[in-house]
Amino acid sequence: MCEHDAKANCFEYIDSQMPRVPLDLVVNGERVHEMIDPAMTLLDFLRVTLKLFGTKEGCREGECGACTLIMNGRPVTSCLILAVEAQGAEILTVEGLSKDGELSILQEEFIREDGLQCGFCTPGMLMSARALLDRNPNPTADEVKEAIAGNLCRCTGYKSIIDAILSAAKREREALRNG
Amino acid sequence: MLSKFDYYKPASLEDATKYLNENPETKILAGGTDLLIGLKNKKVRCKHILDIKGIPELNKFTYSEGRGYFIGAAVTINQISEEKLLREKYPAISQGADALGSYQVRNRATMVGNICTASPGADMAAPLLVYDAKVHIASSQGIKAVDLCDFFTGVKKTILNPKELVVGVSIPDVEKGDRSVYLRKSRIKGADLCNVAIALRINPENKLSIALGAVSTIPMRLFELEKETAGKDLTPELVDWLATQIKTYINPRRDSIRSSPEYRYLITGVLAKRGLLKLIDKEGA
Repeated sequence: MCEHDAKANCFEYIDSQMPRVPLDLVVNGERVHEMIDPAMTLLDFLRVTLKLFGTKEGCREGECGACTLIMNGRPVTSCLILAVEAQGAEILTVEGLSKDGELSILQEEFIREDGLQCGFCTPGMLMSARALLDRNPNPTADEVKEAIAGNLCRCTGYKSIIDAILSAAKREREALRNG
Repeated sequence: MLSKFDYYKPASLEDATKYLNENPETKILAGGTDLLIGLKNKKVRCKHILDIKGIPELNKFTYSEGRGYFIGAAVTINQISEEKLLREKYPAISQGADALGSYQVRNRATMVGNICTASPGADMAAPLLVYDAKVHIASSQGIKAVDLCDFFTGVKKTILNPKELVVGVSIPDVEKGDRSVYLRKSRIKGADLCNVAIALRINPENKLSIALGAVSTIPMRLFELEKETAGKDLTPELVDWLATQIKTYINPRRDSIRSSPEYRYLITGVLAKRGLLKLIDKEGA
């Protein structure tokens, strides 16, 4: 186990005895090639191997949605996916939402509507919301609720999150109309 | 950290059954939404993982008139949920798919995985049971088809042996005017396992089919009760009688953390009545 010694190996994966397998995929638009342990989850691959800490680890059993990311256009809980299963996949994480240091409309609306307090659920919420707006640019409040039913938030009571997603949808539609 | 295993993703059914024959202690991976939790909690241990998503037959999701649907073992719950013709013809199956887990989980979870895990409350089980679904099972000896009602043997237990794998499920075609509904009761409105689930179907000849989930060790079809309704019209009186009778067929567990047996007896009657009235309602429409 991890002894919180900075020099020690905090990740069991590094000691893994299993033969490593190659993994090629695209993360936030960048090609990635790594040799990995087949028992590694996609969530751990992002956090441990790629050091992308935006995707959060909550329950580790698909209940809380903190690890939600978009894989091949669909939101999924990355704790329930083996990294090897993502062979050839296109992954979008919260790190891929902003462009050139500028927040996306969706992120801005979460801030403006106070759609977060502690912020732990926020990356997962953003990814579920991003996937919703990609498949349905004009969702109803009920459709928003259904889309984030797999994302738990213990701070906000959800209302501000739903408002943020709805107003982001509106702004995105306007932005599209105005070219 | 998951326990150690290696990973194999075959590109053909022959490869997969051969691998299962040669490698005991293999677990089959489709969506992984149950398997990875089992591996994490160390309730499931295995030396090998066989990922079946690369096998072409298992990705088949087809309809043909007169024969009905074939849904491969790699087809996800959301693929089912999004299939318009299936929703038109087999509403209970689409409603079961809508109710399962969260949107993210439904993007990975598969219908076949849901019935192979064989949880008593499996959301796909009761809807498939009322449609006389058949499970197609492959081994190195070939493929056999088994009625879904003979597939479950206990809590999280099925007739499958470790050298077999499910290719998919077939559902016979339905006539015009065939109606069905799937209802479930859970503790909260969002993603939650159900306390009671019921699937009801009536065909154009007025034949009623009833299946229940989460109220016994296995999802079950109530053939005996169905027989007693044979030849009768589905009237509000018959609905009331069925709603009281249906409770005598269930056997909810005492030590459930989700609800007491008394509650499940009560809700089974309530859901039965609500569902049957919905079936009557649609007749007028």
